[in-house]
Amino acid sequence: MTEHLTRDELLRRAAAGGALIAASGALSDAALAGGRAAKPKKGGTFRIGVSGGSTKDFIDGQNIVTRPDQARIVTGWETLVNFSPQFKLVFTGLAEEISAKSADVWTIRVRPGIEFHNGKTLGADDVIYSLQRLVNPKLGLFGGAALKSLDPTRMKKVDKRTVRLFLKQKDVTILDALGQYIAGIVPVGYSPDAVGKANPNVGTGPYKVQSFTPGQQSTHVRNPNYWRSGQPYFDKVVIIDFPDDTARVNALLGGQIDAMTDVPPAQVAVVNGHSGTKVLESPSAAWTPICMRVDAPPFDDVRVRQAMRLIANRPQMVQQALAGHGHIGNDLYGIFDEVFAKDLPQRHQDIAKAKSLLKAAGHENLTVDLQSTNGALGMNEGAQVFAQQAKAAGVTVNAKILDSGAFYGDQYLKWPFSTDFWGSRNYLSQVAAGSLPTSPYNETHWPDTKDNKFLSLYKQALKTVDRKKRAAIEHEMQKMEYDKGGYIIWGFSTLLDGYATKVKGLKQGDKGVLPLNAFGHGYRTIWFG
Amino acid sequence: MSTAIRFVRRGISGFVLRRVLLGLLTLLLVSVIVFAATQALPSDPARAILGRTATPESLAALRKQLNLTGSIPGQYAHWLRGFVTGDFGNSLAARGEPVTQVLGKRLENSAFLVLIAGAVSIPLSILLGVLAARRRDGPFDHTSSVLMLALAALPEFVVGIALVVLFGTTVFHWLPAVSLIPPEDTPFQHLKALILPVATLVLAVSPYIARIMRASMVEVLESDFVEMARLKGMPERHVLWRHAVPNAVAPAIQVIALNLAYLAGGIVVVEFVFGYPGIGSALVDAVANRDLPVVQALAILIAGVYVALNLMADVATILVSPRLRTSLR
Repeated sequence: MTEHLTRDELLRRAAAGGALIAASGALSDAALAGGRAAKPKKGGTFRIGVSGGSTKDFIDGQNIVTRPDQARIVTGWETLVNFSPQFKLVFTGLAEEISAKSADVWTIRVRPGIEFHNGKTLGADDVIYSLQRLVNPKLGLFGGAALKSLDPTRMKKVDKRTVRLFLKQKDVTILDALGQYIAGIVPVGYSPDAVGKANPNVGTGPYKVQSFTPGQQSTHVRNPNYWRSGQPYFDKVVIIDFPDDTARVNALLGGQIDAMTDVPPAQVAVVNGHSGTKVLESPSAAWTPICMRVDAPPFDDVRVRQAMRLIANRPQMVQQALAGHGHIGNDLYGIFDEVFAKDLPQRHQDIAKAKSLLKAAGHENLTVDLQSTNGALGMNEGAQVFAQQAKAAGVTVNAKILDSGAFYGDQYLKWPFSTDFWGSRNYLSQVAAGSLPTSPYNETHWPDTKDNKFLSLYKQALKTVDRKKRAAIEHEMQKMEYDKGGYIIWGFSTLLDGYATKVKGLKQGDKGVLPLNAFGHGYRTIWFG
Repeated sequence: MSTAIRFVRRGISGFVLRRVLLGLLTLLLVSVIVFAATQALPSDPARAILGRTATPESLAALRKQLNLTGSIPGQYAHWLRGFVTGDFGNSLAARGEPVTQVLGKRLENSAFLVLIAGAVSIPLSILLGVLAARRRDGPFDHTSSVLMLALAALPEFVVGIALVVLFGTTVFHWLPAVSLIPPEDTPFQHLKALILPVATLVLAVSPYIARIMRASMVEVLESDFVEMARLKGMPERHVLWRHAVPNAVAPAIQVIALNLAYLAGGIVVVEFVFGYPGIGSALVDAVANRDLPVVQALAILIAGVYVALNLMADVATILVSPRLRTSLR
């Protein structure tokens, strides 16, 4: 029952009575598996083909750059808390108990008897080292961006398994940040450069790194001392880089791999139609917005932004850009969050209104360049479909497809009009990541610097423990973005991954952050039938 | 040949020496052009490597790690100094691993693929050309001509995908659809995985060689000395393989060399289609990451193969053509 204790419940109890407990005892993966009937079998080598990949691949328990890095990080590293298949925070991770005195003092106790791959027992020192490493600016780790309120100098070891964190400010999103798959717990002194060397690249996860050739493949062997009893089931996991979509699909159809990430939408029918392979569809809160800079002409005029949002024919964009594998957006992100503003009316294409807004703004027959790159499915496709739709309103959109090095070069986050991609996050975490002056990736330069309201609402929300009050604040923030924001959020893509039907334990329809049910939750809830 | 370096010794050895010097000059020019081209690409390696995950902190950390400082001519001079002393530098994307180590294994894999493709396609296409010319305007000549023209018109990736659909995935399940060669193995241990990529390359280059061989054979078979040999009552097989083929092969040598050189650079597409771990995919990756030392090393290598093969073809042509041989004296 406690597995589904949410962040909000924790905070509500915190508000109700001082220091309280927010933890789960024994965790059952039956809950994760959700009624999978068959009894798992042990053994076999699981081979997965992953899109992208390059000689720049690396294995670091707290950092990723490429898709194969994501596939590899979950083999060996685990977080204190997890996101459930319904995208709720659950206490099934390394933390046995997390309590909050108030929203700026958090106490974490890890489970007893968990060992790293090198035999070291997980303890408070490891948690402190891991969190300090995550926010170390010299390392520039991806996961550190969401942990801005963490104070690396004020972490106290209470006992062998307990740590108390004193944050720089009250922050109700700290658990979301700790639940990101890139916030892995590593042992004291951890350094990823040690693969294959005397001091190996270790975590607490279900598989140990055996060999790794960046840009090609890696092999991971079962961790015999894994703490979740019975798991994992495979003897070995082999993760192979496949930059080419066609080669990856062919390898799956030809039986050379057992699963693959990112089936191109055009190949879904092929994979489903082939005997012995199937597509796993996982709805996601991942989005590929068209971004308008609210401080650059012509988009500094809110009427132009509103007009652009009215130009988008969202069902058509999902149909054409995502081949129908997704759902339409309403210029708001965080759709999996409980506080998502469902009540705001769905925006539809309205060319007449768009034209009159543009006329009022003095931008009839507007011509703009829309910069895009192949960063994620839907970016280039969305840009091209939008450019077509804009013609009806007399707007000329030149969709410029750049190579990713050029797109993410010096002009990135400065383009007046561009596409981008984002993963699944809860509302406040996403605001921190992309919609504040301090955000690492604020493409739209939202909010308007002349208006402090959004920023002060955000600060207020961060320290508001009461769930209802916070929801009201978050709703107000969403309303502001809905009315005046710089994003055209036309749709959310569905994760499409392929697998051989002999692989059991995968579940259709789970909400996806990472492909293939988060790679079978670190390749431990899947097996060969 | 060039008049500028006449002072060098005459004869075949002088010819080779001049060509080698010119080849080195070509390589130097290639290195300058490639270096300039990579500089002209927008963005820098740190940004290209981190892509969307770049934060100001991670960019600063990586730039420091990669030593991306110094002027552009300075960087080139540094690279050239290292290159002439046999140091290809370190890969930027692989976080400072030596280029030789990043490429070593892939180089072996690609060389193996090209050599097998060459070893199969050259004798095969010469044989096809000879047979077509021998029975000129016969059914074999017509069928093979049409087939060759059709194959020559198809891009490799179409041929490759068609072979995969036919033998790997949809129709039959006889052969591996992609060439997975684990990093610790050699391609020799996975010959079955090589069949489809080799077949694709053979189908890509054979038509050209076979066509030129046929044309040249047709000409030779109509010449006086072949007539003479036949009139002497020599067996036809003898006429064909001892007299006609050695004379007809000279023009084909140039085409073979060009096609082998093409294989060295043109396997990029085939390696991509089959997921083959060779230098082709490494080059694509290196360009995307602005990994200059790897791009430079591969550009020099591929250009070097071109230069060397052209030189060998010229020498071979001279050696098999008496008229050219004597003109060098």
